[in-house]
Amino acid sequence: MPRAIWSGAISFGLVSIPVKLYTAKSPKSVRFNQLDGRDNQRIKQKRVNASTGEEVPYDEIVKGYEIMKDTYVIITEDELESLSPKASRAIEIVEFVEEDEIDPVFYQASYYLVPDDLAKKSYALLTEAMASDGRVALARIVMRTKEYLAAIRPSDGRLMLNTMMYSDEVVEPSEIPGLEELDEIEVSDAERAMATTLIESLAGGFNPDKYEDSFRNEVLELIERKSKGELTTAVDSSPATSDTVVDLMAALEASVAAAKEARAGHPTGDASKKAAKKKPAKKKAAAKKAAKKPAAKSA
Amino acid sequence: MAPSTHVAVGDRVLSLSNLDKVLYPETGFTKSEVIDYYSRIAAAMLPHLQGRCMTLRRWPNGVDETSFFEKRCPSHRPEWVPVSIGPGNEHEGSRKRFVGDDNPIEYCRIEEPAALVWTANLAALELHAPMARSVDLDTPTTLVFDLDPGAPATIVECAQRALDMKRIFDAVGLVAAAKTSGSKGMQVYVPLNTPVTHRECSDFALGLGTLLMQQNPELVTVTMAKAQRPGKIFIDWSQNSRHKTTIAPYSLRARPTPTVSTPISWDEVSDGADGANLSFTAPDVIERVGRLGDLFSLVNGTEQELPTGSNH
Repeated sequence: MPRAIWSGAISFGLVSIPVKLYTAKSPKSVRFNQLDGRDNQRIKQKRVNASTGEEVPYDEIVKGYEIMKDTYVIITEDELESLSPKASRAIEIVEFVEEDEIDPVFYQASYYLVPDDLAKKSYALLTEAMASDGRVALARIVMRTKEYLAAIRPSDGRLMLNTMMYSDEVVEPSEIPGLEELDEIEVSDAERAMATTLIESLAGGFNPDKYEDSFRNEVLELIERKSKGELTTAVDSSPATSDTVVDLMAALEASVAAAKEARAGHPTGDASKKAAKKKPAKKKAAAKKAAKKPAAKSA
Repeated sequence: MAPSTHVAVGDRVLSLSNLDKVLYPETGFTKSEVIDYYSRIAAAMLPHLQGRCMTLRRWPNGVDETSFFEKRCPSHRPEWVPVSIGPGNEHEGSRKRFVGDDNPIEYCRIEEPAALVWTANLAALELHAPMARSVDLDTPTTLVFDLDPGAPATIVECAQRALDMKRIFDAVGLVAAAKTSGSKGMQVYVPLNTPVTHRECSDFALGLGTLLMQQNPELVTVTMAKAQRPGKIFIDWSQNSRHKTTIAPYSLRARPTPTVSTPISWDEVSDGADGANLSFTAPDVIERVGRLGDLFSLVNGTEQELPTGSNH
């Protein structure tokens, strides 16, 4: 079950609504461990001094910021601590803006805001008011040691919180080669009309269930098969390490016989059952032909 | 039964697993029966696969569960399964490494009976082949028409249209061969085995499809859109594209019963047009090939040219 990752209160003028944050996304990828291929032992990373090659104990490691090549300013944990934003239990709404004004590039992580039991009424009220007004709230929130700008928006009767990038974290399109010249290209009305037609022919509702990460699914299937011992790999070509090798037909015989037995009397299309099978197929075709006639008449 | 069994196929040794696994739940057809079918059909089937970049479609948990296309030959293939560079996947936008010929795909080649047993053991029920061989990816050896019935049309109407095609081929002196798709429709192959491009094949197939459509606008369409298809036979000419594949002759299909894409004679097409059964399962096909031989053998043996302007 998901656990709340933060708890505090939405603060909004004189109103305060106690809430918890639950993460709304769980990205799925397949994680591998690195192993030594010779004996399948785990790979361990060691921190070593780049100059002496000796291992460095964890508590001797400090943070340095490179101000010029090979010259570092050392910043201690205490110094960082003193600068980090004060842990605050408030999600402080600073203003309301139109949702369209926020380019999706600003959105970072998504969370569900869940009201405490006693705050359900005011939570529902705020959600409904925001939904009817069509605006989203910009707020500040401190999570762990970082202060985030966040957008709070109603979604299906619930409030969602999205942490946002700061504007200096978003790459300006002018910094990307090849994007700027696009402004100067002119298109004719006919070209625009054709492009619009093309778009409309492909238009559909957004149905995220339609799309899935097929690569991940294939990797998981592969893992499952291999974990069941279904190895069709190098083993195949190294009979020296394998047990007895038998003739293919001998290997299949027992299994095929068992399968046939299991469905004795079942018309699976054994050649001998063909005659029995043909008839219904013919009838079906005939029935379809017959069914077509009245349709043709009425047309 | 042990999780895997080591078997010898010719001088190859490979391990088979989960032989008793049911891959066709409705009929209880097991993986051992799939392997049995492919090993028995190998002699007739292999000439139609050899030298081609094969696409495997696998149903590891049977036909009722999800499947996946495998174009890139698995890295765990036995060392005696050769690979060839083939066209990249032109329509898979999201995964860059599969797109286009910039990053071409190494496909499996299925050259010998043991390789068919290996793919069967991977639950690759369906094997799909392109029209060109890997040594010359730009020269299709065959032209294909894929006849796909839009309900309520069935294979009966497919057979009727295939006969219309046959009359045209007869008129221009082309030899052609028919097979069921093993699913709902049929394919008609025109062997070429002479210099020709995918474009020429596509153009010819579209041209002939359009001709049939003009003759029978109620019965035929050459348009991909599903909405255009109810009650009509969609003549899919686009499978002559360089990057497309068609279900291989004698491949099983992942239908409720283990049906096969079965080469059939023109007499059978004619009977089928009158409603005779054209659905054949794996045991039927083994029996047929024993009795009739490979009705598709002429596809590899016949050299002919398309009647384009330059030739006449």
